[in-house]
Amino acid sequence: MLAARASSRTIQRVARNFATVVDSAGIKVAAVDNNQPTTSVTFLIKAGSRFEHKAGVAHGLKNFAFKSSAKRTALGTVRESEIYGGVLSASLSREHLALTAEFLRGDEQYFVDVLASFVTSGRFTRHEYAEYVAPVVESEIEESKFNPGFQAIEAAHAVAFHNGLGSSLLASPHNSITHEDIRSFAQSAFTRDNIAVLGTGIDQATLASLVEQSLSKISATSQMSSSASSYFGGETRLPAHGGPQTVFVGFGSAGTPTPGIAALSAYLSPTPSVKWSKGSSPIAATIPEGTTVEVVHLSYSDASLFGLLVQGPSGSAVKEAGKAAVQALKTVSNGLKGDDLKKALSKAKFTAASAVDSREGLVSILGSKVLSGHESSLDTTLASFDKVSEIAFAKAASTLVKVKPVFVAVGDVATLPYADELGL
Amino acid sequence: MPLGLTLAPKVLASKTLTSWVTPVAHWYANLAGYRKYGLKYDDLVIEEYEDALHRLTPREQYDRAYRMKRASHASVLHNVLPKEEWTTPQEDVRFLTPHVNEVEKEDKEREMWDTVFVSRK
Repeated sequence: MLAARASSRTIQRVARNFATVVDSAGIKVAAVDNNQPTTSVTFLIKAGSRFEHKAGVAHGLKNFAFKSSAKRTALGTVRESEIYGGVLSASLSREHLALTAEFLRGDEQYFVDVLASFVTSGRFTRHEYAEYVAPVVESEIEESKFNPGFQAIEAAHAVAFHNGLGSSLLASPHNSITHEDIRSFAQSAFTRDNIAVLGTGIDQATLASLVEQSLSKISATSQMSSSASSYFGGETRLPAHGGPQTVFVGFGSAGTPTPGIAALSAYLSPTPSVKWSKGSSPIAATIPEGTTVEVVHLSYSDASLFGLLVQGPSGSAVKEAGKAAVQALKTVSNGLKGDDLKKALSKAKFTAASAVDSREGLVSILGSKVLSGHESSLDTTLASFDKVSEIAFAKAASTLVKVKPVFVAVGDVATLPYADELGL
Repeated sequence: MPLGLTLAPKVLASKTLTSWVTPVAHWYANLAGYRKYGLKYDDLVIEEYEDALHRLTPREQYDRAYRMKRASHASVLHNVLPKEEWTTPQEDVRFLTPHVNEVEKEDKEREMWDTVFVSRK
């Protein structure tokens, strides 16, 4: 009985939709509709911190989102969106600025217009910068000071990639950004070839026609530039207090990220598959109680950074955990055999596939592919994992750890270990 | 209207009216006497809109405070400023009025949203 029902369910399962990309008057539009009860529309703009001409303008621009435009004031945007019951948000990564509206089905005309009017006619007034934007920028900087993990990864990017990808997501505490700087950054970023529009829970044709209407006047070519990333590596130590003692050990590489590294990070990740259990990762078993190791794998369009974020209550505990983690990484980088590799690959596949399930994951994965012009599909991503052989994995992993590492210590720098003490 | 009723936009729209009214306007502004104290017309606006004052650039805020100090000092001395310190018609620009109008518009909009009645079409 049960078996019969299960089999009928698999037959009835609807083939999964996946976004196809169309060019709508030069703007790339991708939409996927899986009959969600709500719709989201994201304008993904290549205006991340790696493109900024003055440090911190990308952070300023993120917080300027949905302020007054030629069509409506900041207050009008907030109140009208509340009446429609929608949520507006902006988020910034090193490569992209995402302006997102989430709303009930049927309200797409209004919300696409809100997003488009900010992009085409944002006013960037001086008083709004002083009254709304600067205080938020300041508080986000202040907040980051109490997050040593974030600080470590920011510092690691600066050490690993110097300029471009190395520039910080946040403005510096004593910046000299003005509304004029932000306006000129926005003008150079908000152009036809720089924007991708991604929708979930909305029909592709509807979204494309709305985008075409609302972004018809936008200028065509951008003057944004960022030099190709190159990897350097190095060591830095930042004194901090209040948070856990933190060490980040990273290995970066220029060029497109490979599936082998994703498999490596999936294999090493000590996060257990079953809650409250100890995972079977080689790191999980060897680190001392109270310390945590997080595997970080950040991939960008032309570089990637893989690393281990080690946190613990004291410098000595972090040293012990770091040593164990580095040892595990070195062992694994010699290669994985048989079942271990299969486990690593299926874990990596699941991570890649489940990321597409959430809205943010879908947007970040799909968006970067849409902007770079690749045809996007989950199947190609998953298929690339099937091609990873034992030899390919060993090669990818051993070239990764051969480069000069990034080493960042954040916290009590007197007790935190140095790179050589961890066996790097 | 925060700054009182005005026919200025209507007058400025017509070329003939502008050419008639301009000499009278200059005569009136000079007669009003504030220029002899080194003030600008917008310094006389009642400080009803604090937000508008905050929107001036730091330089404008400083200059405004300086003009007021200088004028009140002249008032204490029961005398106008020396002629070279008088405000010239070219200097007498409306630096605050645009901000006041903007703040007024925003306040109106806030009131509108606070009291708006929404109906689904």
